[in-house]
Amino acid sequence: MAEELVRVTDVKKNYRRDDFDIKVLAGVTLVIDEGEFVALMGPSGSGKSTLLNLLAGIDRPTAGRIEVAGQELGALSDSQLARWRHRSIGFIFQFYHLIPVLTAFENVELPLTLTKLSRAERRRKAEVALQVVGLEDRMDHYPRQLSGGQEQRVAIARAVVTDPTLVLADEPTGDLDADSANEILDLLSQLNEEFSKTIIMVTHDPRAAVRASRELHLDKGQLTAEPAAV
Amino acid sequence: MFKLIWRNLMRNKRRTTLTVLSIGIALVLLSFLQLVLAAMSGAESAAANRLVVRNAISLTFNLPAAYEQRLQTLEHVRGITSLNWFQGRYIDNRPENMFPRFGTNPDTLFTVFPEMLISPEQVQAWRSERTAFIAGRTLVEEQGWELGDVITVQGDIYPVDLELTLRGIYTRPDDPAQERMLYFDWQYVEEALDNPGSIGMYYLLLDSPDYMNETITQAEAMFENSPDQVRAETEEAFYLSFLEMLGNVQFLFNAIGLAVIASIFFITVNTMAMASRERTTEVAVLRTLGFSKPKVLGIVLFESLGVGLLGAVFGAAIIPIVTSTLTSFLASQGIVFTALRITAQTLSLVLGIGILLGLAAGLVPALQAVNMKIVDGLRRVA
Repeated sequence: MAEELVRVTDVKKNYRRDDFDIKVLAGVTLVIDEGEFVALMGPSGSGKSTLLNLLAGIDRPTAGRIEVAGQELGALSDSQLARWRHRSIGFIFQFYHLIPVLTAFENVELPLTLTKLSRAERRRKAEVALQVVGLEDRMDHYPRQLSGGQEQRVAIARAVVTDPTLVLADEPTGDLDADSANEILDLLSQLNEEFSKTIIMVTHDPRAAVRASRELHLDKGQLTAEPAAV
Repeated sequence: MFKLIWRNLMRNKRRTTLTVLSIGIALVLLSFLQLVLAAMSGAESAAANRLVVRNAISLTFNLPAAYEQRLQTLEHVRGITSLNWFQGRYIDNRPENMFPRFGTNPDTLFTVFPEMLISPEQVQAWRSERTAFIAGRTLVEEQGWELGDVITVQGDIYPVDLELTLRGIYTRPDDPAQERMLYFDWQYVEEALDNPGSIGMYYLLLDSPDYMNETITQAEAMFENSPDQVRAETEEAFYLSFLEMLGNVQFLFNAIGLAVIASIFFITVNTMAMASRERTTEVAVLRTLGFSKPKVLGIVLFESLGVGLLGAVFGAAIIPIVTSTLTSFLASQGIVFTALRITAQTLSLVLGIGILLGLAAGLVPALQAVNMKIVDGLRRVA
């Protein structure tokens, strides 16, 4: 039986915009087991990305408790949270967010520069990650020399190069054409099935969601059993 | 990490180049102004164990020649010589013909100024001929003189026209800027004026700088009840007193220097803020990847430091060229400096200000980068 990896308990998140208090998450509770591939769906403004950011430790909830692999995130200071993110989280952005002045190899190597690994070990790990995403022949290319799909594959390599506990993907196919989107989804499925990576993916796209082992639906800041009516 | 900092620095080459040039030129201007101030004071060529004795009223009043023997009796005085500002006019008042002309004692000058290097034969030739003179190598080269050449200096302060023969050429390897001077035997003037026994200043060389204060007190006390009281001071203080006379000029120069540095500081802050703002999302990504706040702070600060340092290195590299060009230009306008010296201190000043400028300019953008919420940074898609 799979072990529990993520536990979210009554998490709320409010934003303050000018004089308005905006409730984005209104008491979300969920559990995700190790090895799951979860698609987090919902209409715009439903709180999907906010929940993902909270799980990644790049934002803090207004109330509630988040545990990942037994670590309560609210107990960590900013610097501890940064170290925890580095060790535990691989984040894939919709717009790839590669560093434009670094090559594909250097982008993938970047998170490893925070470790004590030798240059040779960093090189080996970055090369393996790029091989996994099928870009070993594009290592010396800069992001501007790559297609959108290739950039996202580099971003995936960067996300998994540190062997994180949890991979979080925020609309990873949202900026790609259908073919490239399929390639990325194949890659995420491969990471989940062959490398046993737990993945939580925010998506709008039902075709992307069906690749996941479980779908969660958010509407108006709350989890719902069924997709929200559009 | 340094690769990322360097690549970021080179990301917008035109902007970086222009900022580096601005910093470099501002630092060159600042250091040139400081060099001019230092040259005006002449303090850089002062020796720690030399002191100057002059009339307490002002430099325009002389002292009796008889003081020399009495000053010689002071304990710890190793040597004494006299220097008399003759001024006069050589050919005309064009800048290249305006150089310091001093009457002195050829027998004692080199004891008190051992840093002046000259062959013993030439010293002997100077001492044995009342109308002989010596000059620094730079001055000789500028004037195209050769040993044995005769020049005429028309007197103005002193009503004596001097006909002088070049018998020696000295060098000052420690301070080549001091090689633009002429020294002749003061007895020439004394005899022409029927020996008034009048001396401009005495220079005393002490056994050690440790005796400076004690000797100053003794020298002033020695003539306390004389009609011509003296003021004794270190050679450095003496030169700096000239600078005090130029108080407003010093203030003006320093104010200009500060204004230049302040404006370049704000330009650099703006440049770094622009560079940082353009990379808001990248900073957020770095922090998502696990880069801590201090690391991000370091990346932004080092980039800014790089700009300041490149500017300083550029400035330091062109200071000799600019100084030489500006000195020539000023000379053509009638402003002559004999001692514009670029020293290790000058270069340290340039590098130090460049580094401080870079760090200070990067501080605000760096703090903004680390204090930004990651999610806010990620929302700003370029």
